[in-house]
Amino acid sequence: MPPIIEVRNFTKKYGSFAAVNDISFTVEEGSIFAFLGPNGAGKSTTINTLCTIFEKTTGTLLIDGKDVSLQKNEVRKAIGVVFQESTLDTKMSVEENLRMHCVFYNVPKGEVEERIRFVLRLVDLSDWRKKSVASLSGGMKRRVEIARGLMHYPKVLFLDEPTTGLDPQTRAHIWEYIVQLQKEKGITIFLTTHYMDEAEICSRVAVIDGGVIVADDSPYALKKQHTMDRAYITTQNPEALESLLAAHKLPYQKKAAYYRVDADDTALLLQVLSAQKDSVTDLEIRKGTLNDVFLEITGKEIRG
Amino acid sequence: MKTILALCVRNLKAFIRDRTRLFFSILFPFFFVYVFSSIFRNEAISDPVPYMLVGIIIATVFETALRISASTIDDMTTGFMKEVLVSPVARVSVAAGQFLSSAIIAAVEGFIILVVGFFIGFKVTSVLTLGLVMLLMIFVGLVFAGFGLFIATNTKNIQTFQIVSMAITMPMTFISGAYIPFSLLPRSLVFVGYINPVTYAVALFRTVALEKTGLQTDELLAEQLALQIGEVVVTPWLAMLILFLFGLLFMVLSTLTFVRTDFSRINRNKDNSIEW
Repeated sequence: MPPIIEVRNFTKKYGSFAAVNDISFTVEEGSIFAFLGPNGAGKSTTINTLCTIFEKTTGTLLIDGKDVSLQKNEVRKAIGVVFQESTLDTKMSVEENLRMHCVFYNVPKGEVEERIRFVLRLVDLSDWRKKSVASLSGGMKRRVEIARGLMHYPKVLFLDEPTTGLDPQTRAHIWEYIVQLQKEKGITIFLTTHYMDEAEICSRVAVIDGGVIVADDSPYALKKQHTMDRAYITTQNPEALESLLAAHKLPYQKKAAYYRVDADDTALLLQVLSAQKDSVTDLEIRKGTLNDVFLEITGKEIRG
Repeated sequence: MKTILALCVRNLKAFIRDRTRLFFSILFPFFFVYVFSSIFRNEAISDPVPYMLVGIIIATVFETALRISASTIDDMTTGFMKEVLVSPVARVSVAAGQFLSSAIIAAVEGFIILVVGFFIGFKVTSVLTLGLVMLLMIFVGLVFAGFGLFIATNTKNIQTFQIVSMAITMPMTFISGAYIPFSLLPRSLVFVGYINPVTYAVALFRTVALEKTGLQTDELLAEQLALQIGEVVVTPWLAMLILFLFGLLFMVLSTLTFVRTDFSRINRNKDNSIEW
């Protein structure tokens, strides 16, 4: 199956400054793809170009086989977009917003009612249908936007930082909806985020920094490749532990209260430590996170 | 076509829902009806109340069309425009929806004053006049809706727009013969009035609403319904043509600017730098 999104050698310049510099990637149909990177990395530029709002400087960008610069209307029909900032019509009710969207996307009249019910149920807002958008909370507005983006059954749903500024509970809910959508409807989801924990849920993550893709793989593979498990050990018998670690060629660092051991293979480490199980008083193993991956690749930390 | 209608209905709803604005936009013209019909009660014009009232109606239609078509731009820049932008909708139909709704709102406001006018001495003898009056109000509304959108798309910022529209609306309403007859204005201002399209809207509308269409040119001139500019006499029908051309020009211009406007750059927060 050909990829639903295909980007080859895409560059976007603002004057002489390249916001995105010669990036290429593909997104499989039905997957959740995340663009991970700090503010100003080029995430929004890429998403806005894919959504036909910005014009590329050079390169080829295809969505469902259609060129975003040449077949704008075809592309627009195939995508749904939720922008960083709200684009709801605040003077109208939830239902009126959804109905207007149907007019814009030429949804057959007979299906409108059914689709409104479906999308509102999906985001748990059926009871809010007649309410004015202005009276909703931030999280609810976001959900209305996601619902609206789905009204025309897009092949690809773009979410530009869908959860920024929302509380943890609402964020978790929105993620439930996103994952549910991808599973039930097979919609391809392309999102940008700077929250590490959110990127973990995705099928694939592209790490972008300074307009360049520095890594592109599944979260698992990225972590496997770029991070190590880290064990924090407290012991009553430091000498024995040191000699044991040295004997197994495990690099360690001695800290005031504990030893820090970096290990590729946690199973092996546990096996080694079992010889000392009487003197080890505390053991904590931390798995690598995408934050570590980002740190490792770019030498910078993302502050969510 | 579906989009134009849907957007038009949306704008009408938005207008009705803003109760404060609705109240004051209806109240405001009554103030003028009262003040001006008292001031000019002893004017040379035979029957000042209908004469003033009709002027006020058309000035209100002008002012409303301009204001509404421009304020819808503000609605749209609050973010909603971006939704339109990524949809497969033609921007021309968005502009058309704006024109139509502005013209309708303007005509409705004009109609409300007209209804009140019937109680304070305004009369028509045939239903045809009433129909023509309604059509003319929509026509004048459309003409100035194009003008309003043109100003709005070129100012892009609501504060600037308010100053610009004030600076344009005030002279255009007051030097048009709508509130103050040209015979009371100094010569220099009358010349300004000649280049003011509202002048022609007022002359045309007065002629039709006061049922003076049968009058000869010299009678029209005497009633200040036709304008003598040098050698040329602008009859109400020539005025209609001038208005039509003016409206067409600005509808085309504003639609062109509207289609080219990069709404993604117009942001609510001024300090919001370009995102990438």
